[in-house]
Amino acid sequence: MTDTDPQVADDGPVRFMPQLISLDYTVRTNPVAAAFGEALADGRITGHRCPSCSLVFVPPKGFCPICTIETTSADEVVIEDRGMVTAWTVLTPIQYHGQQERKDYALASILLVGADGTVGQQRLIDIPLDEIRPGLMVEAVWAAPEDRVADDRGYGLGTAIDGWKATGEPDAPASEYEGHTL
Amino acid sequence: MRDVAIVSFAQAGSLVDTAESETQMLLPVINAAIEGSGITRADIGFTCSGSADYLAGTPFAFVANLEAVGAWPPISESHVDMDGAWALYEAWVRLQHGDVDVALAFSSGISSRSDLGEVLCLQNDPYYLMPLWADHVSLAALQARALLDQGLATEADLAEVVARSRRNAAANPSAHPDVRAAGDLSVDQLLEAAYTVAPLRAADCPPTTDGAAAVILVAGDRAREVCDNPAWIRGIDHRSEAHYPGLRDLAHAGSARLAAEHAGVADAPIEVAELAATFSHEELLLTEALGLGADTEVNPSGGALASNPMMVSGLIRIGEAFRQINEHGKHRTLGHAASGPCLQQNLVCVLEGDS
Repeated sequence: MTDTDPQVADDGPVRFMPQLISLDYTVRTNPVAAAFGEALADGRITGHRCPSCSLVFVPPKGFCPICTIETTSADEVVIEDRGMVTAWTVLTPIQYHGQQERKDYALASILLVGADGTVGQQRLIDIPLDEIRPGLMVEAVWAAPEDRVADDRGYGLGTAIDGWKATGEPDAPASEYEGHTL
Repeated sequence: MRDVAIVSFAQAGSLVDTAESETQMLLPVINAAIEGSGITRADIGFTCSGSADYLAGTPFAFVANLEAVGAWPPISESHVDMDGAWALYEAWVRLQHGDVDVALAFSSGISSRSDLGEVLCLQNDPYYLMPLWADHVSLAALQARALLDQGLATEADLAEVVARSRRNAAANPSAHPDVRAAGDLSVDQLLEAAYTVAPLRAADCPPTTDGAAAVILVAGDRAREVCDNPAWIRGIDHRSEAHYPGLRDLAHAGSARLAAEHAGVADAPIEVAELAATFSHEELLLTEALGLGADTEVNPSGGALASNPMMVSGLIRIGEAFRQINEHGKHRTLGHAASGPCLQQNLVCVLEGDS
């Protein structure tokens, strides 16, 4: 609820009233996201293939946002845990209270083999930052089975995958990812 | 002003504790509104949505909701952090520009995942009322008390509103299942219940409801081409009170009165009025403020007391007013929407059929 403990010296011309507010929410996992999470815990990345346009969405949404039709478990397909980097950001962690990161690191958007859209915010592991490039082939480094928790709301891959390491394969040609770069 | 009509309305009016995402909830509703309109999706020139991410605690849910409209090709769209009735208002204004003829307005709300008594406190000013956590039911009770104290209503009057709303809800498949299941309750039975926040009892307050709704608006003769019995927007207006509830006489709904005047409510008889009275006493306030007489049927759907998906309830009222014309052959109806504590903001929409 409300924390009104005065944290700030209150002896100047302006009076301060700290008021921290918290709201409690129940998070419901929708059935499509729940099925996706169960597959992740099992070591599989799944998507829904639109029965109309054939595009594969990962994670599955329960509908095709292009055709605006519903998709179901009957449309489920298994995607490879391997793909290509399409875009990335190198983050320099600012040291604040609670910050766990110490060194620069990269988060990438990855187009998985078999998917028609990227998964974002994926950690790249053991890849020198100056060697990251579009088309770089990577594969999943799975978390321990007990740590594989999908995002409750159906975004991204949750904690199921620790990160992605280079496979050593030749880079994918630009024609395979150019529609997915920003 | 350009003539604009509602030609289609769809709702998922009373979902209970839905497990779906807001987008999943919206998709079939928007599809149904479009399919029922005789308009193709590609013909929609403007889209406006209403929702509040605070309700389900999902940041930027209003952006994800657009996937239910279709992510490609790009569209012209807008969003209001208001009930969908205000999205309809913006769509109506947009159609007045004259360069597009068709608009989609939709809204959604999942209020089962939070405590509305906490979340709605954030509507209050941050200095005086917010730190008190003045919840919306307590503020509504203050307004009900003001009515009772000024001799403008009795507790039995409030119970009459509840009893009639519940009777009407029995025939509305989109009313909240718990309200429908409770069946008819007499005024005496209702008055036996304990207070929730005096003088309001549980049945004076709306049920927690999740839901979504969508309407298609079409300008000019095209509305008649696609719809046998369109409902023309003859007047639409919205007004607001001062933000702080202590600055007004709570026993009167001044901004609702003003909105009704500007929407031309008094120009001709209103056969049916659907009022977003989320608490029983609000219906009495609104009936008086809108100048509705005894010959106006109020809330044949059961109103917001029978189903109150936050951010959707007002748009549903306008949708129900549309159905009265489109399906039931009425000529002149009214849809009302409200927002904020104690009827702080009010929107009035007067609809007319051709017949």
